[in-house]
Amino acid sequence: MQGGDSPARAVDEEKPGTAGITIRAATPEHLIQLCVKAFTEHGVDEQQVEFVKVFFLMHQWFMTSEDLAQAFIDLYQGCDETVTCDKDSYWIVNFPVHFDMDGRLRSVVQNLGAVIQSEGNKQLRELVDLSTVPSYDWMRNMSVRNPASKHARKVSLVFNHLEPEELAAQLTYLEYKAFRRIHFVDFKNYALTASLKDQPKLERSIALFNGLSQWVQCMVLCKTTPQQRADVITKFINVAQHLRVLQNFNTLMAIVGGLSHSALARLSKTIACLPSESQKLLMEYTELLSSNNNFSNYRKVYHSCTGFKIPILGVHLKDIISLQTALPDKVEGGLLNFRKMAQLAIILRELTHLQGHESVPVEANMDLVNTLRLSLDLHYTEDEIYELSLAREPRGSLSSPTTPTKPVVFADWVAGVSPPDPNTINKHVHDMVEAVFKNYDHDKDGFISHGEFEAIAGNFPFIDSFCVLDADQDGMISKVEMKTYFIRANCHALRNSFKHAFHETTYFRPTFCIHCTGLLWGLIKQGWKCKDCGINAHKHCKDLVVMECRSKGSTKRNESLTNGVTVHEMTLSAKRKISQRQKRSSSSPSHMSEQSTQTDDVTRRATTLRDAQGHREVTVVDGEFYEEQSLLYERLLKAEEAREKLMEENCMLRSRLDTANEQIVTLKSHIGVIRQNTIAFILEQMDALHMQRDTEV
Amino acid sequence: MSKAKAQQPAVIHKVIMVGSGGVGKSALTLQFMYDEFVEDYEPTKADSYRKKVVLDGEEVQIDILDTAGQEDYAAIRDNYFRTGEGFLCVFSIKEQESFQATQEFREQILRVKNDENIPFLLVGNMIDLKDQRQVSYEEATKRAQDWHVPYVETSAKTRVNVDKVFYDLMREIRARKMEAIRQNNGKQNKNRKKKKCVIL
Repeated sequence: MQGGDSPARAVDEEKPGTAGITIRAATPEHLIQLCVKAFTEHGVDEQQVEFVKVFFLMHQWFMTSEDLAQAFIDLYQGCDETVTCDKDSYWIVNFPVHFDMDGRLRSVVQNLGAVIQSEGNKQLRELVDLSTVPSYDWMRNMSVRNPASKHARKVSLVFNHLEPEELAAQLTYLEYKAFRRIHFVDFKNYALTASLKDQPKLERSIALFNGLSQWVQCMVLCKTTPQQRADVITKFINVAQHLRVLQNFNTLMAIVGGLSHSALARLSKTIACLPSESQKLLMEYTELLSSNNNFSNYRKVYHSCTGFKIPILGVHLKDIISLQTALPDKVEGGLLNFRKMAQLAIILRELTHLQGHESVPVEANMDLVNTLRLSLDLHYTEDEIYELSLAREPRGSLSSPTTPTKPVVFADWVAGVSPPDPNTINKHVHDMVEAVFKNYDHDKDGFISHGEFEAIAGNFPFIDSFCVLDADQDGMISKVEMKTYFIRANCHALRNSFKHAFHETTYFRPTFCIHCTGLLWGLIKQGWKCKDCGINAHKHCKDLVVMECRSKGSTKRNESLTNGVTVHEMTLSAKRKISQRQKRSSSSPSHMSEQSTQTDDVTRRATTLRDAQGHREVTVVDGEFYEEQSLLYERLLKAEEAREKLMEENCMLRSRLDTANEQIVTLKSHIGVIRQNTIAFILEQMDALHMQRDTEV
Repeated sequence: MSKAKAQQPAVIHKVIMVGSGGVGKSALTLQFMYDEFVEDYEPTKADSYRKKVVLDGEEVQIDILDTAGQEDYAAIRDNYFRTGEGFLCVFSIKEQESFQATQEFREQILRVKNDENIPFLLVGNMIDLKDQRQVSYEEATKRAQDWHVPYVETSAKTRVNVDKVFYDLMREIRARKMEAIRQNNGKQNKNRKKKKCVIL
C-alpha cells in the first residue's frame, strides 16, 4: 500500500463500490502516481480506465489543473517520456475544455511542448499539441450570439399567434445556452459555498428559470376574464407538451411550476374553464415533476431518456450538495476521500456530458429569442403577483367582476424603484425592438401602425396603451419611441446589474484577463480593473466582457439613498416643529408674522426654482447620478437652514437658562435671610418667655 | 377495528427543510437520517429521505424534503411548500442575513398553506461556533414568540438537539392531524365517537 519512495499513502477499497474504482482514499501524490502507472505503451491499462476518467474529471475538486500538469512534468524529468506525453495527450483529447478554459494550464503544457521540441522529439511534440483544442467561447462568455442562421424562417413574434411548438423550441434554445455554460468549477463552488455570490453563470440560469415561471403567471394574470386566462393556461400546457418531447425538463419544470403556483392554482373559476384534457395533462406533468420520494418519477423518466436532454438543474444541485455534506473530504487521517470523488463524478460526468451536445435539436430564431429574452427579464416580486391574483379573483367571493377591471398598467408597478444602469437594458431593448421592426414594419418605413402594435403588445403583460408609447401623437410608433418606452418600463428589471467601472491598473503579480483568460502583459498598466466587482481585463477585451457587474457596493448605494430620505424627512419635521414653537413663543405683532410668511414664500419659490434646475440637470445629463446629487444638495441646504435655526434657538434657551439660574440664586439667598430672621425671632420669643417665667418665680 | 389499524402502513409525516443556502439544512437532515457516519450515501435513491421512527411508542414514517440547492428557485418553492405538513425553518446563528431571510420564508409558507398554525419550528443552527455568533438568542426567541412558534438551537456537527427538532415537529404535525380527524368526525357523525377512541 505504500507508494514507493514518495510520502504517498493510500487505502484500497475492500469491495469496490463504484465499478472499476479500486482505490478508497489516498494522498494526491499517490493518485498522480497511480494515474501515471495506468498509462502503458499500449495506452491506458484497461483495469484502470475508470479510475483515470474519474481522476481527470474530478481533479479540479482538490487541486488546480496547473499543479497537476506541473506534477506530470516533474515526473517527466527522468521518467519514460512517451508515457507522460500519452497522459497529457489523453487529457487533451478527452477533456479539451480544461485546456481552453484555464490559461495557466495552457501555458504550463506549452512550456512542456517547448522543452520537448528543444530536445528534438517531433513525435512527442505532436502529442501535446494544443492547437486542435476546440474553442469553448460559449462557456466563457455570459452571452455569445450565434451567427445568424442563413435561412431565417418567418415566424410570428406575437404570443397570441405563436405556435406552442415554436415557443417550446426557442425556450429550449435559451435554456440550453444558459445550461451548457455552467462549468465544473461553478458546480464545485456552489456545492462548497451554497451561495450564488460570484457565480454569474449559475445565477443566469436560475434567473432564466424564475423569469420564465413569472412570465407564465403574469401572462395568465394580465387577462381579465376567467375564460381568457384559461386559454393562456391551455396554451402553456401545450408548450409544456412540446418541452416534454424535447426532453427539456428544466424549462418544463419552470412552466409547470408557474402554472401550479398558488397565485394561479387558487383561481378556481379559471381552472373551471380549462378543458378536461388540459387539466389531465397538467396533472400528469405535476406528478412527473413532483418532489415525492426524492423526485423518483422524474429520475426514472430522465434516466430512460437518451440523446439531447436538459435536466432539472435544482435536483442535481441538491444531489451534489447532499454528497458534499454527507461524505468527508478527508478520511483515515488526511487521505483524500477518493470514493467521494467517484460518487460525485457520476453526477458531474452526466451533467458535463450533456453540455457537450454540439447542436440543439431546435433551430434558433434570433428575432423571437430576443423578444423572449426581454419578456423573461421583466421582474416582479412574488407579492406583487399574488396581489394581482387576489385582485383578479378575490378570496371567498363567488362572483367575478362583471365588467373587466381597469387593466393594471405596467408602469404603475415600477414607480418608486430606482433605475439601474440604462446601458445594460439598452442593449436588450435594442435587440428586441430591432427584431420587432424587422418582422412587423412591413413597408420598412421605420414606423409601426396601431394594428401592428396591438399584435406585439400581447407578449408583454401590463404594457401601456398605444397612445402612451406614441409620445409625439402622430399615430405611428417609431423605433425611438418604442425603445424609450421599454427602457423606462424595464428599468426595474436587472436592478442589480450595473456597468463595469474600468480603470487602468498596474498589477504586481501575474493577473489574467476575465474575457480571454490570457495573461495581462507588460510592466506597468497591464490591464483594466473594475472598481466595483474587481474583475480584470485587457484594454481590448474590456468592452467585450459580457458578464454584468455584480458590484458589492450596489446594495450600499441603495441603503445610503434610503438613509438620505429619512434624514430629509427628519429635517423637514424638525423644521416644522421649530416654526410652530416660534409662532407660539413669539408674541410679536401681526406685521411680523406677515413678514415671516412672506419670507416663507420666498424660500418656497427658491426651492421650486432649485427643483426646476435640478430637473433640467437631470434631463440634460440623463443619468441617475446627477439626479441624486442635486437632491443631496437640496437636502444639504435644508439641513443647514434647520441647523441655523436650531442654533439660534439654542442660544436663546441658554440665555433663559442663565437668567433662571440667577433667579434661583437670589431666591436661595432670600430663603437664607428669611430663615435667619425666623430663628432670631424664635430665640427672641423664647428669651422673652424665659424672662417672664423668671420674673414670675 | 384496531387490528385493521395495526396492519396499515405507518403514518407519514412530511417535513420540509427551508432556509437560505449554507445554513446546514442538508447537514441536519443527514444527521437525523443516518445516526452513524455514512460510508456509502446515495442521494438519488427514492427512499433516501424517508425513515421509520418510533414517536412516543407509535411507529411512524418521516419524509423529509431538503430544499438545499434549490433555495434560489423562488418560483418553485411555492410548489414544494404546498406538499409539506410541517416546516423546519433553519438559519445560521453566525450569519445575520440568513436570519433575516427566515421572515420571507415564513410569509411565503403562510401564504401557500393559508394557515397561521401550521407546524413550524425556528431553528438556529451551528451553535458549535458560538464565538462567531451574530444572531443573539434573545433576538431569535423574540421573533419566534412573535410567530407563536418554538425556537431551538442546534448543531448538526456535534448533534445537539438534532433529534429534538425533528421529533418536536412530528409531535406538532401529529397533534394537528388528530385535531383535523376529530373535527371531521364531529361534523360528519356525532355517533361515531367510538371510532375516535380507537384511533387515539
